[in-house]
Amino acid sequence: MTARVLRRVAIFVVSVLAASIVVFLFMAVLPGDPAQVALGVNATPELLAKTRAEFGIDRPLVTQYFDWIGGVLHGDFGRSYVTRDAIGPQLLDRLGVTLWLVGAGMLVALVIAVPAGTFAAVKHRKASGAGVSGLSQIGVAIPAFLAGIILVQIFAVQLRWLPSGGWTPPDQNAGEFLRGLILPALSLGLVQGAVLTRYVRSAVLDTLGQDYLRTARSKGLRPGQALVRHGLRNASVPVVTVLGLQLATLLIGAVVVERVFVLPGLGSMLLDAVSARDLLTVQGIVLVLVAGVLLVNFVVDVLYTVLDPRLRGS
Amino acid sequence: MKARIPAVAAVLLLAVTGCSAGSSASVSAGPGTLSVGFTAEPANFDFTRTDGAAIPQALLYNVYEGLVKLDAQGRIVPLLAKSWTISPDRKTYDFQLQQGVRFSNGAQFTAEDVKFSLMRVKTAWTISIKSTMDVVDHVDVVAPDHARVVLAKPSNGWLFSLTSRLGAMFSPTGVADLANRPVGTGPYVVAARKRGDSVVLKENPGYWGREPAYSTVVLKYIKDPTALNNALSSNGIDVISAVTAPDSVPQFQADDRFQVIQGTSNSEVTLAMNNQRAPLNDVRVRRALTYAIDRKALLDTAWAGRGTLIGSMVPPTDPWYEDLANVYPFEPAKAKALLSEAGVTNLNLRLRIPNLPYAVSAAQVVQSQLADVGVRTTIEPLDFPAVWLKQVFTDHDYDLSIIQHVEARDITTFGKPKYYWGYDSKRVQQLLAEADSGTPEQQVADMKQVARQLNADAAADWLFLFPNVIVAKAKVGGFAANQVSESFDLTGLAPR
Amino acid sequence: MRNLVLGGILVGLVVLAALLSFFWTPFDPVKVDATHRLLGFGASHWFGTDKFGRDLLSQLMVGARTTLYVGVVAVGIAAVIGTPLGILAGMSLRWLGEFVMRVNDLVLAFPALLLAIMFGAVFGADTLTAMVAIGIATIPSFARIARSGTLQVMSTEFVLAARAGGRSRVHIAVRHVLPNVSGLLIVQASVSFAIAVLAEAALSFLGFGTRPPTPSWGRMLQESQELLTVQPRLALVPGIAIAVAVLGFNLLGDGLRDRLDPRLAARV
Repeated sequence: MTARVLRRVAIFVVSVLAASIVVFLFMAVLPGDPAQVALGVNATPELLAKTRAEFGIDRPLVTQYFDWIGGVLHGDFGRSYVTRDAIGPQLLDRLGVTLWLVGAGMLVALVIAVPAGTFAAVKHRKASGAGVSGLSQIGVAIPAFLAGIILVQIFAVQLRWLPSGGWTPPDQNAGEFLRGLILPALSLGLVQGAVLTRYVRSAVLDTLGQDYLRTARSKGLRPGQALVRHGLRNASVPVVTVLGLQLATLLIGAVVVERVFVLPGLGSMLLDAVSARDLLTVQGIVLVLVAGVLLVNFVVDVLYTVLDPRLRGS
Repeated sequence: MKARIPAVAAVLLLAVTGCSAGSSASVSAGPGTLSVGFTAEPANFDFTRTDGAAIPQALLYNVYEGLVKLDAQGRIVPLLAKSWTISPDRKTYDFQLQQGVRFSNGAQFTAEDVKFSLMRVKTAWTISIKSTMDVVDHVDVVAPDHARVVLAKPSNGWLFSLTSRLGAMFSPTGVADLANRPVGTGPYVVAARKRGDSVVLKENPGYWGREPAYSTVVLKYIKDPTALNNALSSNGIDVISAVTAPDSVPQFQADDRFQVIQGTSNSEVTLAMNNQRAPLNDVRVRRALTYAIDRKALLDTAWAGRGTLIGSMVPPTDPWYEDLANVYPFEPAKAKALLSEAGVTNLNLRLRIPNLPYAVSAAQVVQSQLADVGVRTTIEPLDFPAVWLKQVFTDHDYDLSIIQHVEARDITTFGKPKYYWGYDSKRVQQLLAEADSGTPEQQVADMKQVARQLNADAAADWLFLFPNVIVAKAKVGGFAANQVSESFDLTGLAPR
Repeated sequence: MRNLVLGGILVGLVVLAALLSFFWTPFDPVKVDATHRLLGFGASHWFGTDKFGRDLLSQLMVGARTTLYVGVVAVGIAAVIGTPLGILAGMSLRWLGEFVMRVNDLVLAFPALLLAIMFGAVFGADTLTAMVAIGIATIPSFARIARSGTLQVMSTEFVLAARAGGRSRVHIAVRHVLPNVSGLLIVQASVSFAIAVLAEAALSFLGFGTRPPTPSWGRMLQESQELLTVQPRLALVPGIAIAVAVLGFNLLGDGLRDRLDPRLAARV
């Protein structure tokens, strides 16, 4: 088991390095000259050359890459071409916002999906179960940003109960922080919750059909009891896999939801940096996002091994 | 375990929504605080080395002050200079300075700082408009409260440029970290910033002039125009500095809680035509396109009818404004005739625009209208600023483009043949040069001729002048309807 | 069965609208008309007009084309590349399977939106970059599902028996593995189609998707935003269209799953 986990760690590290090369090369072919952007429209060629040298973008790509990744390993993501600030601290700050959003969205999704999906599966022959399934189908079909726009219209613009957007750090004012988080988390979580409900339902349904559950029921346990005692662990295997996949989807949603709710997270930072061709910043953000997804996959892989007895043995 | 966490969270969510239900979601704390929403955020605070309108919008007149400023009518009025005189040869300017002025770091403001600041533009600044200061030959410190600026040649544009960021006064003791710590003589200092969110300005306790009505001003940066509207509707901010979702204005007009102020700006929304590239190098083709576009319909659809039709590169607030909006009426038949006269058939043009709401809206109207006279266009939205600046502005790789030209008196760009218009007219270049060095009367006369010539040559198509639409809570007063300077001037705002 | 019929009807509606739009729309969908802007529901313009005076129904019909186009291409790319990779990873030598899944994980680490923004930045954002990006980003889902299904099938008795009987790997893959994972893959395809449609909408919303003036439901939503309070119709129409398409494909997938999976079919 330890050897297995160690191997996963090695794979994780290699994957992140491979991803960093992909990201770096991608940025290198982006059109747009960072020096030009930084200097504005009528910069002289001499000044442009000087600025390129200052940014270090006149050196060979290999040198640039090793310089960059070497810095990143020490937590130094370089200085932005546009804002001329250190990128690292800024990245950390924005990451915090996005993590709160994704975490809260995931929480909302789980709160909806686990009970709703289980209910829909257990009662799949009843109207109530079918009703929950139907609702989840409709929920899946609504884009997160549309949900966000509608929620803002109702709760912020019309009722004025909650802020329409903006961000208050939790350590500054915890109440405002939570109030500001509710609508974004709901718009992200409702849709993901509906998606997840479908997976939970089908996983539980599969489990319900397994022999050991039939055995348990023949011993006199009610379906719910049998499920909780024997089935949930098995049902959780596919659900955990899907959760991993969904974290990536949540990041997608977060970028758009951050735009709708004006949250200073990684997503809005990315969009701004892309349109400003702030290459080094884009590079840093993409690397952090990608490494984050790889980290989630790594954790899922380990969990997968731990949860599924069949895989544990092999 | 799994079941319990969600339950706790649900209770928490309910508690939070519950306790706030019914109360207002206002974040503007106290009567002394004002929260103003903007769409474009400053990349940093250093406008000497970073281009873009957002930095002077936030800092000029509020944190930094110059010798002179523009008032709401577009006139040059005293600020740090009490008065000034101009020599008969129009080359020597004598400024009498305000006394008892201090920078926010405590340093005294004197004529030495005037010399330092003006000469520093030539040496330390990197943004493009700094070339306007090249005309300064030297600055003499006659007395601590008397600075004398000597120009190499007469220039009307120079004094005007002192009202912009170029005229901002710096202290030698305050330029160490301009990107993060601006030090000026203005009524406000930068107290805090949260990137991607806001900049907080606080009253400068040692300010020499009139104390501002709001001791704290939060500049909130909200890129999405609808989100900006929502922030005002839900009490997140008090003012929208410039509305860029014009169709939403009636909803604010219908609501007593708000007031809508509409005036003009310096920002010409221009359909640029690449004058160097065939077939747009033919004046008949450019005129044909100008006849083919129904600018009234374009303004009505793309910008809800808010804005002014101008016909040349001059806003009504400039002294040489003339109404040229109807020189080219909407006449598709004439457009077709001109096109066939020029021997142009089957035209397919690349309309390469910045990926910004006004440009995307206007481009779709232009495309539909040009299609009616048989001119096909392909709309290519480009990331702004980076890609648009590189490909269209710098490399001139475009046929048509649509962009706001926001700088004051930017009609002078038509005097530069290398500018992305590709417009090269000896007459216009000569008139512009004469206007800059002549008397104010001659300047007005010459500039009128420039504007007419540009219109006659259809050097570009000025689709409309961007409106300055401010929406604010009814309780906030003191707004100027017209936006004539680079600054969002906070100094006149007061509760009413 | 109910799912299949309902899903079929909804998807049929979208397909029909798209096909019809090739031959006929009530109005020119991109024709700007200042005199007929922001009309409500009515006899001439059924769904009204937008701020440019363009007919909403006509835009909706042509927009259906964009939606189907993106969905088909994106899911096609993902299924055609992802499925064989997943089965390969599940069946082949351990190291090869491992390697395929590691590369797969690397791709998985680039979410669709991120890829689409990166592609858009390099090649200029339009429908093509959006759907290729969505397609590539969806490959890992197919590969993962195919692999995990394959792993389970490979440990079943009938496959063990087939292997003992000396059947070739290809034979096992085609005869035993593919049929047994196809149900999972169809569900995945349905979800992926939904996600692709939603992703295209999100990208157009952010300005990284379909270029104007080509009608796209996502951009219709984005353009409707500033008028939401006064003209909710403008958001409602494309919003419902997106929901109908997504719902339809999901129901269709579920219905097919019930039909194809004998275990489930026997039980329901």
